[in-house]
Amino acid sequence: MTTGTDVPTRDTADLLSPEAVARRRRIVRRASRSTLRRRRAVGNATRVICYVALVIALVPLVALVWYTIKRGVQGLSEAFFTQLPVPQGVPGGGVKEAIIGTLIIVGLAAVVAIPLGLAVSLFLIDRRGKLAASIRFVADVMSGVPSIAIGIFAYALIVVPSQHYSGISGSFALAVLMLPIIVRADEVAMRTVPEDLWDAALALGARPSRVARSVVVRNALPGLVTGNLLAVARAAGETAPLLFTALGSVLFTTNPFQPMDAMPLRIKLDGTQADPHLQTVAWATALVLLASILVLSIVARAFASYATRHAR
Amino acid sequence: MLGSPLRNRVKTRDGDEADVDHVDDVGSGEFAVTLEHVTVRYGKVENAKQVAVRDVNLSFPRNQVTALLGPSGCGKTTILRTINRLHDHTTGKVSGSVRVGDLDVYARDTQPEIVRTRVGMVFQRPNLFPTLSIFDNVVAGLRINGVRKREFLREAAEAALRQAALWDSVKGRLGLPAIRLSGGQQQRLCIARALAIEPEVLLLDEPCSALDPQASARIEELIVELSSHVTIALVTHNLFQATRISHRTAVFLLDDQNSGTLVEDGPTVDIFSSPKDPRTQAYVTGTIG
Amino acid sequence: MTADRRGGAPERSEEDAAPGAGSPGHVGRLIRLGGRRSHGRIYATIRWGGVLVFAAIVVALVVSLVWQAAPAFRHSGLSFIFSGTWNPDTDQFGAGVFIVDTLITTGVGLLLAIPVGIATAAALSEFLPRRIGGPLSTCIDLIAAVPSIIVGLWGLLVLIPIFQRDVEPFLQKIPLLKHLFGGGDLGSGILLASVVLAIMMLPTMVALTRTALQGVSVADREAALALGGTRWQVVRRAVIPGARPGIEAAITLSMGRALGEAIAVSLVIGGGVTFPHSLLANGTTLGSAIVSFFDEATGVQRSAVIGLAVVLLVFTTVTNIGGQLLVRRRGGSRRQALPDQGVALTDAEVVPA
Repeated sequence: MTTGTDVPTRDTADLLSPEAVARRRRIVRRASRSTLRRRRAVGNATRVICYVALVIALVPLVALVWYTIKRGVQGLSEAFFTQLPVPQGVPGGGVKEAIIGTLIIVGLAAVVAIPLGLAVSLFLIDRRGKLAASIRFVADVMSGVPSIAIGIFAYALIVVPSQHYSGISGSFALAVLMLPIIVRADEVAMRTVPEDLWDAALALGARPSRVARSVVVRNALPGLVTGNLLAVARAAGETAPLLFTALGSVLFTTNPFQPMDAMPLRIKLDGTQADPHLQTVAWATALVLLASILVLSIVARAFASYATRHAR
Repeated sequence: MLGSPLRNRVKTRDGDEADVDHVDDVGSGEFAVTLEHVTVRYGKVENAKQVAVRDVNLSFPRNQVTALLGPSGCGKTTILRTINRLHDHTTGKVSGSVRVGDLDVYARDTQPEIVRTRVGMVFQRPNLFPTLSIFDNVVAGLRINGVRKREFLREAAEAALRQAALWDSVKGRLGLPAIRLSGGQQQRLCIARALAIEPEVLLLDEPCSALDPQASARIEELIVELSSHVTIALVTHNLFQATRISHRTAVFLLDDQNSGTLVEDGPTVDIFSSPKDPRTQAYVTGTIG
Repeated sequence: MTADRRGGAPERSEEDAAPGAGSPGHVGRLIRLGGRRSHGRIYATIRWGGVLVFAAIVVALVVSLVWQAAPAFRHSGLSFIFSGTWNPDTDQFGAGVFIVDTLITTGVGLLLAIPVGIATAAALSEFLPRRIGGPLSTCIDLIAAVPSIIVGLWGLLVLIPIFQRDVEPFLQKIPLLKHLFGGGDLGSGILLASVVLAIMMLPTMVALTRTALQGVSVADREAALALGGTRWQVVRRAVIPGARPGIEAAITLSMGRALGEAIAVSLVIGGGVTFPHSLLANGTTLGSAIVSFFDEATGVQRSAVIGLAVVLLVFTTVTNIGGQLLVRRRGGSRRQALPDQGVALTDAEVVPA
């Protein structure tokens, strides 16, 4: 709806006269009313599209978990947990060495990475300035390094000089993987501790290390536990760092200086064979691994929300 | 959320009946906005403790500035937000009747978007669209409501910017990012943006609180000028501001159940020189609040 | 998988970094003021020691990889990057095919993951009530917890048959895109790898986008609301533009994740050292090449495979640095005229009145 002239006069009085105001008001209200239905419809259509996207996003997860359960359950048995792998074509057998191997390799990695990460994060929370910011930045970038590159790093650093594949080189790779994650998670967890707690403890004359230990760490403990558990869960599922380090094996060993099997390695090895029995073993292993990781992750998060709800 | 029991129908000048939404004229009563027994509750249960503001009866005269005055937390902003149904998006529940002209704001068949084209709002801190230019900000409301014609947008933008005393500063640089303006200019741009859709009521929620005295003074000038053709409801905790620019003042304080309540309202001059309620007296003399 | 996935832990700590919370320098100040020296020293040793070990690891990572790959770089020179010939028998090592396949799979994966991710995040943060949105969001996060070997194996055993039987014939029937989808009928291939990567990128994409959307302040939303906008108009005009920096960061970080994925891709991409002629062709990415070639490689070849790891490291590091910079830039440039809370704004005219 135009005023009838191509070049409207821009006289102020014209523009702000009651007639002009009323005219504009009518136009706006008419447009508003007549487009409302369409605007609402667009919003509803978009909402539907977004719900569809949500379903699309959830389908792979559901399908994957369901498939793992379906095929994995077939392979579970007591033998599965207590026996070693058998040659192709021979029935029976289990993955005892892989389960133990994962526990040992991940355990050693955690023993190294958790305290080290805590130490670095204690450094970071206490300082402002370029150095701390750089370390934080490096840690964030490091947490995106491909795990296969970390595996090769461990290979180059430990396997090559020692001329030996070993579980401990796998642990090293996993520790390098976990370290940046733990550093950042720990720092975030400790930053949520209010400043007055620090102040109060320090004012009472406590030593800074003691303050850190008893006051901050204790209060941040839920967040720390959660962060570390999630990092461990992540490491337990990694295959690439172990490919060229721990290598895998069919022998049972608890000696970390020997090649060692781990669940992800076993899944890869057995799952890619044509033998259906081996494939079943692979899926059973996958089920155990997935269940352990999911349970660990869910427990860690539940612990975090429970603890924050009952804090102080 | 009780609406008026009557339907939203009015007699137009031709003598026909029409739904108020379809009437393009502004209402013509003495009062642009009327609140009756308006109570706002937060939370699920009808719990007395969670009443934010209780039983407000207030009318806003057309084309005048009415100040909602009182200390923080007494329900002034809460009441303001009932007028343009912003509580729809919070956990607040509004009961009572709010009418803008002849439009029952909370009637079941009243669309909130329509209400908001008749009632504009300016917030405490300028909330321009940060990615948009000055021009795009001013006409954002028009575009949202489906107005597209470039010529019209330009005309409305100029009218709005002139009313906000910003036209001369920005007329050559309408393409500039809006966030490059100073704080006071940004707030005036927010006012222009609200004015561009030609609302009949303008709600101002402490518009000067984030500004320095100089910027505040300019906004106050603006408000007085605008009030000649727009009804203005101004929330403020600054008594002096109320005396400077408002025609009427409504004083809000906390009652003994810790809910906000309207203590007294009337012409500003009377409120400050001869208040009827002792609590008002106490407040305007600085004894309380 | 990383701290990123937990609803953006890195970003939140940047905001915490300024006020309170064992604030930087706080304890340090007090230590200097009068903490007992000797114990402060042990504490300091632990922390500095940790930092030094961390720095040593980072440096050693880069140095050892480059060192091991050096023979191959010396052998092939620049053709290592640009040549598409990878032939151990003739001692020719060119990563060109792998680089191209990596870029294609990541690119197509992003094409799939970005719209689905943003729409899903919008559903979770804007449309669904919090009680439903929260748990569903956690479910999506759990995808990231699934080990990549399991995703890869599932892709191998479940998706390949589906692709071979249904998807690929379907795609080959679309008239205009015949060339894009010509040739392959194996099920495995670049397209499937892209789909698998998209699945693995979704949790990061959704979590970070959701954080970005929820981070838009109520005031910004009310601006659009008060002008008469419908709910969707508020999202389109106020929320999404406000969340753009966060969305850009989400995309970049997801891309970094996809570039480095090796195991899952190696199981579904088929293998092959020639440039792909269509999306359904088999191929090899940098990661899958390392997985496939490392074991049997000796001498210069092994060094070349490590060289692939170096190239991969460069790609992912550049991408992640970009992503981290985007994360840190978020919200910085937006409200230039507004100082911190409580300080009055002056009317000092940027644009003269």
